[in-house]
Amino acid sequence: MDTYLILIDSLSSALRQGWLELASARHSMGASRVNSALFDLKSHHASTTLQVENAGMDIELPCFRLSKWASSDGPEKGAKLQEDELLQNKCDSPRLEHHEVQDTRDEGGVSSVTPNNHARKERFKSLSMFGTLVSPKLRATQLSFETALETLVEISNVRASLLRAYDQVQKDLNTTK
Amino acid sequence: MYGFEALTFNVHGGYLEAIVRGYHSGLLTAADYNNLCQCETLDDIKMHLSATEYGSYLQNEPSPLHTTTIVEKCTLKLVDEYKHMLTQATEPLSTFLEYITYGHMIDNVVLIVTGTLHERDVQELLEKCHPLGMFDSIATLAVAQNMRELYRLVLVDTPLAPYFSECITSEDLDDMNIEIMRNTLYKAYLEDFYRFCQKLGGATAEIMSDLLAFEADRRAVNISINSIGTELTRDDRRKLYSNFGLLYPYGHEELAVCEDIDQVRAAMEKYPPYQSIFTKLSYGESQMLDKAFYEEEVKRLCLAFEQQFHYGVFFAYMRLREQEIRNLMWISECVAQNQKSRVHDSVVFIF
Repeated sequence: MDTYLILIDSLSSALRQGWLELASARHSMGASRVNSALFDLKSHHASTTLQVENAGMDIELPCFRLSKWASSDGPEKGAKLQEDELLQNKCDSPRLEHHEVQDTRDEGGVSSVTPNNHARKERFKSLSMFGTLVSPKLRATQLSFETALETLVEISNVRASLLRAYDQVQKDLNTTK
Repeated sequence: MYGFEALTFNVHGGYLEAIVRGYHSGLLTAADYNNLCQCETLDDIKMHLSATEYGSYLQNEPSPLHTTTIVEKCTLKLVDEYKHMLTQATEPLSTFLEYITYGHMIDNVVLIVTGTLHERDVQELLEKCHPLGMFDSIATLAVAQNMRELYRLVLVDTPLAPYFSECITSEDLDDMNIEIMRNTLYKAYLEDFYRFCQKLGGATAEIMSDLLAFEADRRAVNISINSIGTELTRDDRRKLYSNFGLLYPYGHEELAVCEDIDQVRAAMEKYPPYQSIFTKLSYGESQMLDKAFYEEEVKRLCLAFEQQFHYGVFFAYMRLREQEIRNLMWISECVAQNQKSRVHDSVVFIF
C-alpha cells in the first residue's frame, strides 16, 4: 500500500514537472515552434507499446510491461530487451529506482538510467516534429513524461497485486463464514 | 561621434519617436508584476490587466480564460501599435520597421511548411501564425514539395526572396532540411538588417549594431547548445552562424566543435560581456541560460531609449513588448498549473 501511494505521488510530481517544463520550452523556443499544430498526423509505428500478460486469467496475476523506443527502421531486439529488463528491475524496487532517477536527474539534468544510443536516437526522432534543433528544456520535458509513463505502468502492476490480495481476503472471509 | 541627427531627425521621425516613447511608458511596472505574480487564477490576471493598456483587449473575453488567449490578445495590441507606426512612417523608417517583422515571417513560413509535411490542415496552421509575419500568399506555401518550388511559387514575391539564394535545393523537404532552411534564412536576414543599419549611419547604426550583434551571438550559442548530440555536423553548424558579432570569427570556431554545455561555457567566458552571463550559471546547467540572455538583452534595449534621434528605439520597443508578452505567458502558465513558486524562474523585469 505504501508503495502504491508513493508511486501515485511520484506520478503526480513527474506530470507537474513535465507540464511546467513544456511551458518553459514554449517560453524559450517560442509559441510557433512548440504547439499542437505541429503534431505529425502521418501514420507511423508506435515507438512505445504496452503489453499485458496473463490478462483475464483467474490464477495468474496480470502483468503490464512497457516496450519503449521500438525502432521504426526495424526491430533491434537487443536494445529493446535491455530496455525491458531495466524496466523489470524498476518494477521490483520502485521506491529505490524513483529516488535514484530523482537524484541522478538533479545532479546532471540527464538520467543515468537512460540506456543506449538507440533509445537516444529514437527520442530525438520523436521530438523532430518540433524541429531538429530543440532546446534542452524540451528534451527534459520528454524525459519527465517518459518517467511518468513508466510510473503509470508500475502503478498498474501494484494495483493489480493489491486487487488480487483484496479478492483473496474476501474469499477467505466468505469461506470462514 | 554621430552625425547631425538633432538638426533633421524630427522633420520625418519626430512624431513617431514621440509616439514610441509614449508606448514605452505604458510597459508594465514592478507593481504590476508584483500584483500579477500573486494572482490565484487566470481571471485574476485578467482583472489586473484590465487596469493596464491591455484592458480593452481582454475585457470581452469570456471565462474560463486560457493562457493562449491572454497571449493572443496582448499580441494584438502590439500588432495594432506596430501598424499605426508603419502607416505613419516615411522612408527609410518604413523599411526599418518592416525589417523588424521579417523574423516572424520566417517563423510563419517554417510553421506552414512543417505543418504541411505533417499533414496538418492549412487553416489550422494559419491560425497559429504570428500576425506580424503574415503576407498575402502565405497559404500557398502548403503546395510546395521542395525549396525550389517554395521559392518559385510563393517566396519570390516576398521580402524573404533575397535570403533564399543560399538554401535553394531540389531536395524534398524533411525535418532536417527545414531546420537548416530556418536557420539559414534567419542568418541571411540578420546580416541584411545589419548592413541596412550600417548604411543608415549615425546613432541608428551605432545602437543597432550592438543590438543585432548581441542577437547574432545569442543565436550562435543557442544553435551550438541545441545541436549537441544531434546529426548536425560541425561544418553545417558553423555555416549557420552569422558573419558578424562579437564572437565572429574566433568564437564561432570554438563553438562549432563544442560537444557539451561546459565547452560552450569555456568558449564564451573569454568574452567579458558574456562572462557575466555564464557566471550566473552553475557547471553543467543550461536551464537558466535563456533567462540570463533575456536579462542582458533587456538591459541593452532599455539603454537604447537613453539617446534620441535614432531608429533603435522602435526596434527596442518591439523587443521589449515581446519580452513583456513572454513574461505574461509564463506568469499565466504558472498560475494555471498552480506552480506560483516557479514564477520567478523566467520573468524578466523591464524597467
